[in-house]
Amino acid sequence: MADGQPGARGPAVRVSWVPSAHARRLLTLAITALVLAVVTRRPEFAGVAAPAVVLLATWRTDRAAELSVRIDGPRTRVVERDEAVISVSVDGQGPHDAELTLLPGAEIFAGPTVLMPAAPGGGPATARMRFRAVRWGRRRPGTLEIVLRDRARLAEGRVLVELARVDCAPRPARLDGTILLSRLQSRLGEHPARVAGDGGEFDGVREFVAGDRQRRINWPATSRRGTLHLTTFAAERTQNVVVIADTSFDVGKLGLSTHDLALRGAAGVIARYTASRDRVGLISFGNGVGWLAPGQGRRHLEHLMELLVRGPAGDRPDAFARLPRAALPPGALIVAFSPLLHPGFIEAVRDLRERGFSVLVVDVLGSMPEHDTSTLSALTARLWRLEQEAMHYSLTQIGVPVRHWDGTAPLDEPLAPYLRRKIVVRT
Amino acid sequence: MARLAAPGTRRASIAAAGVLAGAAIAWAAVPLHSARAGTRIALVLAVAAGALSIARLAVARLPRVAVPFLASAGRQLTERVFDVIGALPWAEAMLMGTLALEALHPVRPWHTGLLGLALLGYLLAVHLAETDAAPRALRGQLPLLAAGIVLLALAVGAAALPGRPSGPLAILAGGVTAVAVVTVAALVLPGAGRGGR
Repeated sequence: MADGQPGARGPAVRVSWVPSAHARRLLTLAITALVLAVVTRRPEFAGVAAPAVVLLATWRTDRAAELSVRIDGPRTRVVERDEAVISVSVDGQGPHDAELTLLPGAEIFAGPTVLMPAAPGGGPATARMRFRAVRWGRRRPGTLEIVLRDRARLAEGRVLVELARVDCAPRPARLDGTILLSRLQSRLGEHPARVAGDGGEFDGVREFVAGDRQRRINWPATSRRGTLHLTTFAAERTQNVVVIADTSFDVGKLGLSTHDLALRGAAGVIARYTASRDRVGLISFGNGVGWLAPGQGRRHLEHLMELLVRGPAGDRPDAFARLPRAALPPGALIVAFSPLLHPGFIEAVRDLRERGFSVLVVDVLGSMPEHDTSTLSALTARLWRLEQEAMHYSLTQIGVPVRHWDGTAPLDEPLAPYLRRKIVVRT
Repeated sequence: MARLAAPGTRRASIAAAGVLAGAAIAWAAVPLHSARAGTRIALVLAVAAGALSIARLAVARLPRVAVPFLASAGRQLTERVFDVIGALPWAEAMLMGTLALEALHPVRPWHTGLLGLALLGYLLAVHLAETDAAPRALRGQLPLLAAGIVLLALAVGAAALPGRPSGPLAILAGGVTAVAVVTVAALVLPGAGRGGR
């Protein structure tokens, strides 16, 4: 079995040839008919064997001993439940038809088997194989099985190539609006700020002073007032956004667990703010803490998704006390996705608020602890719920709004109150 | 690059295999009253093997349970049945049963010749269904199939002639001659075994 490395010419893979089931059946027919012909002294049975013997007589031994298999792709990021395509180039199949099948790995749906006829000139032939990952994660798409068949379909050559691991990103939650802070940092961006600048959004009209640009003179106001007046525009600034994905607990049904929802929500916020050219950072809080300071660009987005999928390296979640200062530039908006079950995380959120950050928590816990109908169990569940409510209340009291998200609705629904107006920065 | 045959083509291949298997067994079995002892047993075996060979094709693409011991008892039993159906070479058993059934009847060369054609068609249909291939996949074998059928007709015709030599040695010599002729024909035929398309 070879390992398919994307983008490189794969090593030559040995083909193991065996007689096909069709050949075995033909042989059975031929031998049975010939034996009956001899035993019963009836030559017509030899005639029954004739077509099978003719087909078997084309058995050849000069078959391709090796194949060169090159696997490219997937060229775009693989997103859960989206179709991904890999390109398979096979060289050296000779006059044999090849049948390509993806034997899927865990949580992978393989696309249909593809038939690759022999190339007329004997050159490499290329096929596109499709698969779909059911869930995010770093996983192997599976094993590519190539079956070569000769013209008479008497022999089958088999090659197995294991595909390289791919990062499957979580499906981003839908978020159409953006949450904006009232005070933006002085970097060129796309959000209109409260201060005047060179943006495109109207800010006001004021009297002309020496040094102002003449092309911005507001002539209607000038003619009414009798002195030169100028139109001013709002400056356009960027915003620092830090997304926190708390994956310290994974509770709930597979596919809609807190881990799934935290990653999908985080991916949605990252995708939305990246699209509006804001600077986005990520803190992944799971088995340890991993972070990426806010940045921009496609490469940075890939790094964010990689951290999101792979999670932080480490195995000491309890060592976590304060979130890394390097990942939290002053004045950043912080959006946290968490089931709010880890006490250390709740303390960290409180600490962030005390440090003056604008924090918004999205609660992704969608299930209660299992309990039966006994009084003690019901009481325990009620106590747990009260504890959760108390914790939500305490966060709200210190200025950290907590919104619940069920994972199915767009993120705009729970975040609606913060999408309509800017969040006033209070230090 | 091309896709394999559509699911409809595969279903048609399985249906064709089923029809040909049924026709071949029925053709080899009639008339029951003139056959020798053991015909009924051979008939039952051939019918069972033929039915299971078609069932094997039908269940080959059904989704299987990844972890059988986590499935329900009914599902586990179904999985076990699928395993048995898939493990044994029912098509080969059906071929042998049908030929044995034909051998239990009195000499009837043309009848046997038609049975040979039906069995050949059954084998090709099983192969197409098994590999999800369209019938055009056999286009390259048409000259060979035609040559084989001509040889079958010649053998049957020779068997139908009156006053042919008898005895096991004569039959053996005839068989060897037939094989030699077939091999030479296969090597001489244009394109046979050369991989031309």
